Amino acid sequence: MTDAADPFEAIKVTFFQECDELLGDLETGLLAIEAGSADDETINAVFRAVHSVKGGAGAFGLEDLVRFAHVFETLLDELRAGRKPCDPPTVKALLRASDVLADHVSAARGQAAPVDEARSAALVAELEALTHGGAAPAAIADVLALPEADEFGFRPVAFDFSTLAAPEPAAASGWRVTFRPHARMYAKANETALLLRELSRLGPVEVALDASALPDLAELVAEEAYLTWTLDLAAVVDEASVREAFDFVEADCDLTVEALSDAPAATDAPDSAPDLDIAALLARATAEAPVIESAPPVVEVAPVVPVAAPTAAATPAPAAQAAVTIRVDLDRVDRLINVVGELVIQQAMLAQRVIESGLARSSGISVGLEDLELLTREIQDSVMAIRAQPVKSVFQRMPRLVREVGEMTGKRVRLLTEGEATEVDKTVVERLAEPITHMIRNAIDHGLEMPEDRLAAGKSGEGTVRLAALHRSGRIVIEISDDGRGINRERVRGIAVSRGLIVEDAVLTDDEIDNLIFLPGFSTADAISDISGRGVGMDVVRKSIQALGGRISIASVPGKGSTFTLSLPLTLAVLDGMVVSAADQTLVAPLTAIVESLTPRPGDVHYVGGHDAVILFREQFTPLIDVGMVMGFRDAALTPSDGVAVIVETESGARAALLFDAIQGQRQVVIKSLETNYRQVEGVAAATILGDGRVALILDVDAIVANARRRSARPELKLAS
Amino acid sequence: MTAALVLPAVLDIQQAAPLRDDLLALRGQPVVIDGSAVERLGALCLQVLISAQQTWARDGLSLQIDQASEAFAAQWNAFGATDYALAQREPA
Repeated sequence: MTDAADPFEAIKVTFFQECDELLGDLETGLLAIEAGSADDETINAVFRAVHSVKGGAGAFGLEDLVRFAHVFETLLDELRAGRKPCDPPTVKALLRASDVLADHVSAARGQAAPVDEARSAALVAELEALTHGGAAPAAIADVLALPEADEFGFRPVAFDFSTLAAPEPAAASGWRVTFRPHARMYAKANETALLLRELSRLGPVEVALDASALPDLAELVAEEAYLTWTLDLAAVVDEASVREAFDFVEADCDLTVEALSDAPAATDAPDSAPDLDIAALLARATAEAPVIESAPPVVEVAPVVPVAAPTAAATPAPAAQAAVTIRVDLDRVDRLINVVGELVIQQAMLAQRVIESGLARSSGISVGLEDLELLTREIQDSVMAIRAQPVKSVFQRMPRLVREVGEMTGKRVRLLTEGEATEVDKTVVERLAEPITHMIRNAIDHGLEMPEDRLAAGKSGEGTVRLAALHRSGRIVIEISDDGRGINRERVRGIAVSRGLIVEDAVLTDDEIDNLIFLPGFSTADAISDISGRGVGMDVVRKSIQALGGRISIASVPGKGSTFTLSLPLTLAVLDGMVVSAADQTLVAPLTAIVESLTPRPGDVHYVGGHDAVILFREQFTPLIDVGMVMGFRDAALTPSDGVAVIVETESGARAALLFDAIQGQRQVVIKSLETNYRQVEGVAAATILGDGRVALILDVDAIVANARRRSARPELKLAS
Repeated sequence: MTAALVLPAVLDIQQAAPLRDDLLALRGQPVVIDGSAVERLGALCLQVLISAQQTWARDGLSLQIDQASEAFAAQWNAFGATDYALAQREPA
């Protein structure tokens, strides 16, 4: 995290958060345009997204970003005004530009390597060609001086607003902007003309030019800035909106903004007032000829021609505004979750004490307790919902990935996404991006065939990758499927044999062969390709999913495609656990690791080398680990037949049997970090507080199994599951 | 003898220095500037043109911007430079 003490940094962090949202909106909008489901508002929203990124970037002096966004925005403005058609090549270029814009943002954030300059420059050239090429080269002239026809086809007439402003005091409130650009501003490819136009979006502007600082032509330096403008804006808007027009050049100019009239300027609702004004102005405009005669405020300049007259579309409607949200520091939410966790525990303790003291039968108390329990549950659910986020933020990154991987492999790919609104804990969302990215890459690189092969197989030349999210029995399920060739089982088997993962004559079901790709050290790419072969195999994907308490499975049909299914818990703040006891200690084993439990029969337990116990379980010898001994709770081993063996599976797929004294039951527990409150303890993942107030340790099954193995220093059992 | 200068279509930041040099080369004689091809006018070229008008006026010579295209005139006015003479091309 950034140093919160530095307010500038904090604002910057917020800016980048907003950038993420804006880039998301941008891509969503562009995809809608590509799909032909866009209306005028979509193009406006896309324009606004780029414009906002540019504006913020200007404030932080992120020049590369500003420059790129500026070119991007200029083309979007052409599309918005309908001067350029939104044809497929243009949309494709816009999509690529949105990718590069995202790169610029990441680079500015310091999260990624600097942007590929050549790619960025090529796109700038392409965007500029699209902007200036074609039928209407006098683009800026049109926008600057000629009022645009609005959506009703109305083209307002230019006329002098100052004469109108006078008789109506309410409409007279406005702003005087004095603007003197520095040479730096021009050097950064900003243009006064565009800024004036930006300001005129807010309302009618009277422009007065002061050229008194201009030297003789012989002494004039072409790149120096000598002119000063006084701009009288007749619009009921707040000062921030006025400054916004200049917000990315503010450091490179002298700018003053002062209220024009005695009437207090509106502090909000910048869009409401002009509508009325426009009606009044239009009425007068039709009644009077557009005569320009008034005396403008700046002394040396006589007649004045106003810039673009307002149109109903000049002020962007807030219609596309998303749901009302507030930004809250995650720490605060976590603190709340923690306290609610305490509340849940306290409530459970209270309930237990009431039972112990024999008061439960007294109906008033038990009814009150039940209500309290319902309330605490509801509070807990609501608090968890604060952290819940739609998977959209991850899904949104995928269209770009698909485009890029498609281009690199020469395959034509269509991405279908479903259930973007499915919500899951923020931590889970963040950690989903990498595995999903990897699996989509795999699906395109390994799953889909080349277009000609697909056509030969009687399929459409364009492959489909489907990414879906849904809730199923208290978990989130993510499915990544392709309609490609399916898993080549012969080849998978061959590789597994050559890598020594299975013996040559092993008898495996189709399912077992498919699951071989999850084994460490397995990679189907013969040569390491740029796309999938980044040293990250499916074993790493499985590990990261399992680290989230999730599972991954695969289903594949030759010639039809493959489906990977991830199933994850909705939150990492609570855990479904099996409450067990070992040497008078209460422990919690994560339910996701548990395969089954059994009472060992004396004959099933064998000792290797005299002390390492193994248990015969489903015709396999599985190491039997006495948890009480391993954790140091007792010195003498428990007789296996006196306890309960819980078969667990580690993240690497290895199985072991953990021996406990007894199983108490299954329960959902609130996870408390041990590292934060105490220190890391080997074999313990975290802690929780039980209803009776005692602290119970949550076992780190993987660490316990690995630890037991190290102690016995026994060669690993060959696993084929 | 009146000299003539034809303005290019785009008068952006890149054109400011060449435009200044072209005009300076014509100093000492009346000049008619043909603005019929102009599509885009930036503030830096606006500076050069206004400075040229002021300089020529101080020299007691005429410098006329003539045949200004519609776009040129519109942008010139949008800059608030309306008290600097600009003769617009007659609409065809």
